[in-house]
Order: sequence, then C-alpha cells, then structure tokens
Amino acid sequence: MMRISHVLAVSLVFSCYVPGALAADASVAISSPVNGTKFNPKEDINIDYDVSLGDKGDHTHLYVDKNEAVTLRGLKGKHALGKLSSGEHEICIKVVNKAHTPIGAQKCINVSVGPAT
Amino acid sequence: MFENLSYAIMQLVHNFGAAAVVGVAIFAIYPAAQPIPIQRKFAWLVGLSWTAQALSGVGFGAVSYYFYEKLPDLYGLAFAALLIKIMCAAGGVSIAIMYLRQAAGWTTEQRSVAWKLLAALGVTALAAAAFLRWFA
Repeated sequence: MMRISHVLAVSLVFSCYVPGALAADASVAISSPVNGTKFNPKEDINIDYDVSLGDKGDHTHLYVDKNEAVTLRGLKGKHALGKLSSGEHEICIKVVNKAHTPIGAQKCINVSVGPAT
Repeated sequence: MFENLSYAIMQLVHNFGAAAVVGVAIFAIYPAAQPIPIQRKFAWLVGLSWTAQALSGVGFGAVSYYFYEKLPDLYGLAFAALLIKIMCAAGGVSIAIMYLRQAAGWTTEQRSVAWKLLAALGVTALAAAAFLRWFA
C-alpha cells in the first residue's frame, strides 16, 4: 500500500512537470507579402499566414500599425486587408491565449504603400 | 498548469458574481417584492458581488501580467464592451452602497427603482461580456 502511494505521488509530480523543451511552441509565419514589399495605393493587400498555437495559444490577433485589425480564427490561410493608406505600415500577427494576452509568438512585416517610381 | 488554474479561479469568481448581480437584483422585486430586511441583505449580496466582479476582472489582467508581463490586447468593440462592464460595476457598487446607507428613508417606489437599476446594470454587463468574449 505504501509503495503504491509512493508511485502515485511520483507520477503526480512528473505529470505536473512539463519541461519547456517538451511543450509545443507556438509559431507564426507570413509567407506573403514578404518584408519590404511596396504596394500601389489602389492595390488590395492579402496576408498569407500559417500559425501554430502551441500549448498555450488560443487564437491570433492581426495588427496594422499597432492597432488590432481583426481576430484570425483559422490557423492557415489568406486574409484580405484591403487597401492601406500611403506610407509605411507594420503588419503583425500575434498568438494570444484565451484571455487575449500575447504569449510571445509573433511575426511582423513592414510594407509600404505609394505610387510606383 | 498554474497559469490555467489562476485563470480558472478568476473565471469561477467572475461567473458566480455575474449570476448573483443579475439573479439577486431580479429576485428582490420579482415575482414579489421581498420584505425590507431581506432586501437589505440582498443589497449587501449584490454590492459584494459587484466588488467580486471588479476584483476578478482586474485579476484576469493581473494573471496575464504575471505570466507574460503583458495585459490582454483589447481594441474596438471588445474594448468598448470592457468599458461598459467597468461602468456597470462602478454603478452597481455605488447603488448598493447608497441603498445600504439611505434606503431606510426611501419609499417602496424608490426601492423598486434601485433594484430595477441594479438588474439593468447586471443585464447590461452580462450582454457586454458576450461581445468582449467574441470581438477580442
């Protein structure tokens, strides 16, 4: 009986301890547009993304110039941003948890909108 | 594990607080107005429940900050819903305190108005919570 309780106690300790290396990490990839792309002001901008939520992520937020533009519920696909105003823009996708807190995994790219030179 | 447990405890308090601020306020006057001593106890319950709502709401942010050193990212409609919830909590605590301090001199009609206001604040906060959940 004593031995069983020891085994159960050790099992509980090990089941609660998940080393960081074993925990699935979240990740974000933006395949298009690539960083530094320049768009015509009349051109629609589409974001191709691929997200892994890992153990702690729940969904993703897409930001344009630090402001949240939309919640992305899908993990992979294309999101139409539409047209952006002329100038430099930062586009970010961040993995957030159920409380909408960014958990660290993110990808940001910079694009510019202006007439072709 | 401790992160999820922390969020779950905050959610537990928040859920029961939400049930109390709406349910108790409605039950104070419907289907029949409760006796005045009972209404006073209900006012305590509603005031404490609104306080629990506010503290657990702050708790969500505190847990996020403890584990990620960041607060939840809320914009647009979700942020507006959060502001509405905060205003409802402030209003709920204020009315409950006013009730406990001054209701001895109020008419039946004034008491009824106070409970209707408390119920309306609870329903509004509960509705805002749905938008906060799905527009963030």
